[in-house]
Amino acid sequence: MALSRQEKARLLGGVDLFLALGPRALATIARRATEVEFPAGRYIARQGEVGSGVFVIARGSARVVRGDEELTVFGPGDFFGELSVIDRAPRVASVVAAEPTLCLAIAAWDFLALLDENPKLMKAVLLEVVARLRATIEHIRH
Amino acid sequence: MNDSDRDIVDILAGLTLFGDLNRPQLEAVAHTFDEEWFSEGQRILRQGFTGTGFFVILEGEAAVRIDGVDRATLGKGDFFGEISILLGEPPVADIVALRPLRCLVLGGPDTEPFLNSYPRVMYRMLQAQARRLRNASQWRS
Repeated sequence: MALSRQEKARLLGGVDLFLALGPRALATIARRATEVEFPAGRYIARQGEVGSGVFVIARGSARVVRGDEELTVFGPGDFFGELSVIDRAPRVASVVAAEPTLCLAIAAWDFLALLDENPKLMKAVLLEVVARLRATIEHIRH
Repeated sequence: MNDSDRDIVDILAGLTLFGDLNRPQLEAVAHTFDEEWFSEGQRILRQGFTGTGFFVILEGEAAVRIDGVDRATLGKGDFFGEISILLGEPPVADIVALRPLRCLVLGGPDTEPFLNSYPRVMYRMLQAQARRLRNASQWRS
């Protein structure tokens, strides 16, 4: 069943990355986000490909896999794909639907435009990437 | 503007981090940051100790040293110190000058307001961090 724009905005508003955004910015993102259904086992994003967009899981769950290793499982409200859109390099992991999964997809150029229009969003993405960088370095140390 | 400031603006104009700024903005940046020199072997940031600022390298080279292992080399146009400022946590690496190092420095509390004033610098920084994250994911201990 298709999501209304209000439902999309509510969903997006619950994503950590978008917490700093006001209702107008959320409505803009909701307007630009497309719903995409993935059956169980289907690739949502593929390691090695350059990212065409970012995804938010609306319903269902997806496994994050690098090579043969499962790194984590994403569920509703989780967000991925931004790294490859930002640095235009191949994706570092694959994301595979673990069950029938509904995503909101934001095309790369729309996401970059949103960053340009919303310095708060840019800051939130920067903090997220920096926190992951720090966590990755900490992980290497232990 | 004195010769030294003009020299710095010329260097800044060639750095990716400031690639979207026009001349007057570059002049403002040169004015906002302080210039500092470090000698070979000097430790500028210390792993586990509170960071002191945001540094942009104008000349020279520095090592990113984690638990005594050099993991990366930073050169002209690279920057450091921003992770601990943005997250409010101590640095995860030592930064050690490998040769005489010339930097621009911005105090910790001034860094976020600076980035807020220049969203295009923030964007360039974000691109660099995404690349670093990608590289770090491939390191092995």
